[in-house]
Amino acid sequence: MDAAVRLEGVTKTFGAHRAVDGLSLTVPRGAIFGFIGPNGSGKTTTLRMILHILYPDAGRIEVLGSTSRRAANDRIGYLPEERGLYRKMTVRRVLAYYAGLKGMRLSAARGEADAWLDRLGLASWRDRKVEALSKGMQQKVQFIAAVLTRPDVLILDEPFSGLDPVNLEALRDVMLDLKRRGATVIFSTHDMTKAEELSDTICMIFKGKKVLDGTLAEIQAQYGMDTIRVRVSGGAGALAGLGAGVRDLGQLQEVRFEGDPQELLRKLLERGRVEHFEVKKPSLHDIFLRIAGNGR
Amino acid sequence: MSKVWRVAKTEYLNLVRSKAFLVSVFLMPFFSGGAIAVQTLLGDRVDLRDRRVAVVDGTGALLQGLERAADERNAGETMERGAQVRPRFVIEGASGDEMALSARVRSGELFAYLLVPQGVIRREPGEVTYHTQSPTYEDLPRWLRNTINGEVRRIRFEQSGLDRRLVDELSEPVPLRQYGIAEVTATGEVKKERLNELQTFLAPMGAMFLLFMLVMMAAPMLLNTVLEEKIQRISEILVSSVSPFELFLGKLLGNVFVSWTLFLIYVGGGLFVAAHYGALHVVPFALLGWFLFFQLLALLIFGSIFSAIGASCSEMRDAQSMMTPAMLIVMMPMFVWFVVLKSPNSPFAVAVSLFPPATPFLMLMRLAIPPGPAAWEVAVSVVLTAGFTLFCVWAAGKIFRIGVLAQGQAPSYRRLVQWIFSR
Repeated sequence: MDAAVRLEGVTKTFGAHRAVDGLSLTVPRGAIFGFIGPNGSGKTTTLRMILHILYPDAGRIEVLGSTSRRAANDRIGYLPEERGLYRKMTVRRVLAYYAGLKGMRLSAARGEADAWLDRLGLASWRDRKVEALSKGMQQKVQFIAAVLTRPDVLILDEPFSGLDPVNLEALRDVMLDLKRRGATVIFSTHDMTKAEELSDTICMIFKGKKVLDGTLAEIQAQYGMDTIRVRVSGGAGALAGLGAGVRDLGQLQEVRFEGDPQELLRKLLERGRVEHFEVKKPSLHDIFLRIAGNGR
Repeated sequence: MSKVWRVAKTEYLNLVRSKAFLVSVFLMPFFSGGAIAVQTLLGDRVDLRDRRVAVVDGTGALLQGLERAADERNAGETMERGAQVRPRFVIEGASGDEMALSARVRSGELFAYLLVPQGVIRREPGEVTYHTQSPTYEDLPRWLRNTINGEVRRIRFEQSGLDRRLVDELSEPVPLRQYGIAEVTATGEVKKERLNELQTFLAPMGAMFLLFMLVMMAAPMLLNTVLEEKIQRISEILVSSVSPFELFLGKLLGNVFVSWTLFLIYVGGGLFVAAHYGALHVVPFALLGWFLFFQLLALLIFGSIFSAIGASCSEMRDAQSMMTPAMLIVMMPMFVWFVVLKSPNSPFAVAVSLFPPATPFLMLMRLAIPPGPAAWEVAVSVVLTAGFTLFCVWAAGKIFRIGVLAQGQAPSYRRLVQWIFSR
């Protein structure tokens, strides 16, 4: 497989805390790669190592076929989790500066910045200082800074946090558009729905170690079709003692049942009237909770 | 290298376009020179109230002379262009009741009283005493000291039968003027240059203080910009595109350009004024090259130190506490400059001007004092300071590399040393 990013046995320790522990993963070229995991699991540290902002204590990182910082970094766009823009600079100037640091010519950077500002509805703000922009607008400017140089690899750390639904849709469209143009997009998120919707490949790390890796279908197959949603006349109380765990969703209850679903249905019918019975694949959210919940 | 230039250019433009820079361009010289100018202009013109002094004249021979001298002074040097510019001194005779005189001083009726013992003219043991509640006002006691001594001498000469006029003629001082050492010019002519106050005092002092001002106006800005970029998480974006050392170097160079811009403004302005008044011949042009050279080294040294502090802290409060030892090093030349100015070739002056953090300021000052330091001293100072500059840039670069992404509590000095020697 042609890889945009390849990590082999990467470890990073801060003092006594091992943030990333022997992580190996491969991000295919041209894919959208969802990087999930609970807070403090090592996602941001991994992304920073891919960007050569941090260096691993052990292991090997290859980006776009090179292990050298200089060769790869100009071809990577980066949106950090915490936004960083010069408040006293104008929008256009800050974008041109960031693009310039990636090696883009000033005239080309200005032209590209204008096109992106126009596309994301910020054309009239281009000559205003960053401090005059709302938080949402600043977030869009930060995103433009990441994509302005048409990077081969785009790394987005929690790109959806704090965005309203309109901007969220706009960002999603741009990510898909970049993928169509051949770019590889790596994004970390807590939003499992977005990870499911967008990712070709998903990787979950937990306490610095990889616990999931593959396409959504592969992951769901790995975790089996053992989630059953039911609505019974006795409510959640009627499900006591059935399955490994029962989640009360209000109008429905969710049961994790290892075995033949028909067996569960039979047992439920013995206890009362069954109004709803649905065998479903476990969602990424469920899998996430299962792994993170068990690990705590 | 192009990335370093981009960082330097942006750093430079951000700083010189800021309101703080424009304000400081005009305010710094005002604060530095303003205090001296205000003192010179105002002098004792602020308080023109009479200084009334009661004289208890034990000799019975001095009071009249004092009153006459005070009248002459009040009619002459207290007035300029028809307006009073200095306080008048008013002399009155008094009896020897010291408690009553003290009460009058306390009430403000008198400024001071003077006790002249009986045998002062006959050179009997004893001293003239001056009593006041305003000991910091020195003009009056200084005038009294000179006037009483003059009057006592006059009376003693008279009593000895000497002609005062003849004594004055014979006592006329021989003038002494300062020159540089004799040199033979290309035409074979022996040349001795007369030294003036501008060359021997103002030029060295002015050069050193101007350098200090230009360094201190620029270098501390680095602490603020580095810390601000770190707090606002801009550093993380920047180091995803450039290496931390490239970023550090770019910022350092931008800062040097800011300081050189200030040099152009102030020195350029000074040269323009000198040209306007036809005084370009007194400008020590040879010194300007040295000035720019030492300015560069000082900025690299102190810019590195301030950048490292900014990068290693996450809050201004932490940065301020780390600034204290750094400021002591920066201020060192300010503690010793006068000693160096008075004896520029003393072993102390040589040693202290070879101490790298102080060299840019003190060696520049020594170079400005004719005939200047020995060539070997200049060479050693350049080598030592250049080496120290490289060390500062290297060490600060290492601290910057780690510190700029570190968050939380400021590191200890021990940890900073570990950062310097980490791989």
